Amino acid sequence: MLNKEIKEKLRAIVGTEHVLDANLDRFGYSYDSSFVPLLPANKPDVVVRPRTTAEVAAVMALANEHSIPVTPRGAASGRTGGSIPLAGGISLALDRMTSIVEFDEKNMMVTVEAGVRTIDLYNFGAERGLFYPPDPASWKFSTIGGNIAENAGGMRAVKYGVTTNYVMGLEVVLADGTVIHTGGKAIKNVTGYDLTSLFTGSEGTLGVITKAILRLIPMPKLRNTLQLMFPSLDDACNTIHKMLQSGVIPAAAELMDKTCIQAVARHRKMDIDPAIEACVVIEIDADDTEALAKQSKQIEEIAKSFYVVEVRIAASPQEAEDIWAIRRGLSSAVGAMAPNRLGEDISVPRDAFPEIVRRIRGISEKYRLPIAVYGHAGDGNIHPSVLCDLSNEEEAARVHQAVDEIFAAALAVGGTLSGEHGIGITKRDYIVSALGEGGVRTLKAIKQALDPKGILNPGKIWN
Amino acid sequence: MKSTGKRDRLQDVHDIVSQCDRCGTCLPVCPLFGVKDVEAASARGKNNIARALAQGGLDATPDVLAAVNFCLLCRACVDTCPSKVKTDEAMMAVRQYFADATGGAGIKYKALGSVLKNRTMVKLASGALKVMKRVGINRLAPYGMAPSEFTREEYLARFAGPAALGAAAPASPATLSDNTKVAYFYGCGMKMMFPEAAKQTVAILSTLTEPKLVDNVCCGLPHLAHGQKEDFLALAKENIRLYAEADVVVSECASCSSMLKHTAQYLAGDPEWADRANAFSRKVMGFTEYLVKAGYKPRQKVDATITFHEPCHLGRGQGIKKQPRELLQAASNYVEMPGADTCCGGAGTFHMDYPEIAGVVLDKKRQNIEKTGAAIVVTECPVCLVQMAKAAEKSGKFRAMHISQVL
Repeated sequence: MLNKEIKEKLRAIVGTEHVLDANLDRFGYSYDSSFVPLLPANKPDVVVRPRTTAEVAAVMALANEHSIPVTPRGAASGRTGGSIPLAGGISLALDRMTSIVEFDEKNMMVTVEAGVRTIDLYNFGAERGLFYPPDPASWKFSTIGGNIAENAGGMRAVKYGVTTNYVMGLEVVLADGTVIHTGGKAIKNVTGYDLTSLFTGSEGTLGVITKAILRLIPMPKLRNTLQLMFPSLDDACNTIHKMLQSGVIPAAAELMDKTCIQAVARHRKMDIDPAIEACVVIEIDADDTEALAKQSKQIEEIAKSFYVVEVRIAASPQEAEDIWAIRRGLSSAVGAMAPNRLGEDISVPRDAFPEIVRRIRGISEKYRLPIAVYGHAGDGNIHPSVLCDLSNEEEAARVHQAVDEIFAAALAVGGTLSGEHGIGITKRDYIVSALGEGGVRTLKAIKQALDPKGILNPGKIWN
Repeated sequence: MKSTGKRDRLQDVHDIVSQCDRCGTCLPVCPLFGVKDVEAASARGKNNIARALAQGGLDATPDVLAAVNFCLLCRACVDTCPSKVKTDEAMMAVRQYFADATGGAGIKYKALGSVLKNRTMVKLASGALKVMKRVGINRLAPYGMAPSEFTREEYLARFAGPAALGAAAPASPATLSDNTKVAYFYGCGMKMMFPEAAKQTVAILSTLTEPKLVDNVCCGLPHLAHGQKEDFLALAKENIRLYAEADVVVSECASCSSMLKHTAQYLAGDPEWADRANAFSRKVMGFTEYLVKAGYKPRQKVDATITFHEPCHLGRGQGIKKQPRELLQAASNYVEMPGADTCCGGAGTFHMDYPEIAGVVLDKKRQNIEKTGAAIVVTECPVCLVQMAKAAEKSGKFRAMHISQVL
């Protein structure tokens, strides 16, 4: 518990109404979108909502002086517990820092505060014919600060990369309140260590990101959507590999397995042939209709060489919307199948996609648990959803064994624990098996150097 | 017995809110979170407070009740939620839980509820808002409850000049069968605050059919929303009895028609009433829903620019979105406002309970109305109309009317 004097100092820094310590308010900042149980609640002692970098710096200096844990928070839409204040202390909510500070048209870059929502950044660019591509599923409500801290991905990663590919520079408040600026607008920059990349994906454990310089690219003028149905998963994956090798790079290539397809069919009251093992939804973009049509044709030809049974090329924006509705409805359709759903986020080399799905099938049978598999097939990022009832203790035990084996399988095929959600709380038990003792020791050495008192987001990434 | 009921109530709550996986999709659409951007004010926040209450992680303290009362029940979150978590139903169920636990709803809601339960009291209040004074609600509403009404006569006098595009359109034959017995449901809000508009509703219905006027009782929504479920059920049964002969029940109050359509779900477990409630709910229609189905053509097209505020209980509550706009296009120079379906902050008694917050929510609505340049904003719900009237008064650039006054 923080004493009255410290709370008074916090109020003096950010203003009385931006320090919350009522029980319900503390409860509100105790959770995120992970499956870390709601109760017992991981309540912070106090919620602090700064408006400026100077306020963040003052809060950090105070916290460091008194060794108070600080957990940065954006919209709490993360999937692994990153913003959960596990050690109490201060929940540092950055959602009031919502200014777009600068638009640099010639360099095609924007400087934004951490609390700017990703959709607002996207719209700001779109109004100027520019494109901020990273699109995590939460992009309509998550903040850019959270996206950077977790190095969020999204469906467009196959063509456009992930958050880190657009971060040119950062303003970071260190544990002791020092404000530093990393990177900058220069495209080439090898002055010192690449701290920008270090802080990107650091999950709030190394510093508090307060501003970012982000690059934008020209907005593609036209988009279209295709839906491909395959009787075999291998052929679906082979189609995607062949496309990429042939230089046909889709803006998104989403794959759903049979469990997902039938879940959506039931949910939306459609009939889908049970012989279909895989559905691929592809988005393509280009600057003119000829280029767009050419890509569609190439994809269709490649898919035919891999025995596709149905190719649907959207003929109107409405049809494109209908196709995407299948993918977007997936989460709730799958969620409706069981009381609980543990959604994972493994990532494997692209060519291991069919192999990992086969292994997950095996795990599903072994532990008698339905596992729906969908993912970003173009980049090897897979979200297996274990459908279960965690209130049944015997089943809960099986679920945990199944999840352990899914991680082991991912590592065995050359993949990793997380593609885009981060490690946070939910995957920290597995970090040594992914990085090795030496690897984790290196992470800890960096942490020790930047946050010697261990006040920043304690309890995350490793145990 | 009582404790079992309470536990069941929390189980009902838990069944709803445990479907929330806390993703945050609802955050940007909640009008209250837009004014007070702390987690406990958001739909996600309130659902998880409810969940913690049901799971024993939070005690039933007054701040928890205050949190669940701080909800417009506008369903914007439900609409956008990937799992369609029914926040509104969960909030109402928690309020009921508190009422059961503390021996009744809050004194103010009880006072209002008992007035609305009573036909005579509602009638006495007709047009004069005496009821509000009687229960002291007018003192709790610094912005004033009583709107200044802009009548149809004034409207026609102002806009039906040389620019009017001809006389009343010929009435079309109804698509409903000629034998359909249509009954009118006269909601308390219309009765107490907008009897002139209600007269126009009946006049319009009379061009299509011979509407049966029934001495109905309150739809029960205010009771259900504030922990007086037993009263709600008694009112529901009375209305079911009263409308047994009708084939169609029409109300120009979106909250009433929405509540009446949803009545069946609250009697589904009652073997004596389930079937009758189901039959009743299925014959209820919103006013403009009925008009379009009956092929109604507005009595005139007027050269007035009109915009429409879509009540939550109409659009999200009943899926009635196209019909009012279609009719307004035929009756005026219709222009859509940005965020037409965003809650106006009225929300039953919310605007009296939280006048400052409701005032900020309404200010956003007023600005959106002004952006259209419309001379008139119309809506299809008396509580919304109170809010629109307040906005009109503050703006001075437009007037507020019920849709039945301009069709």
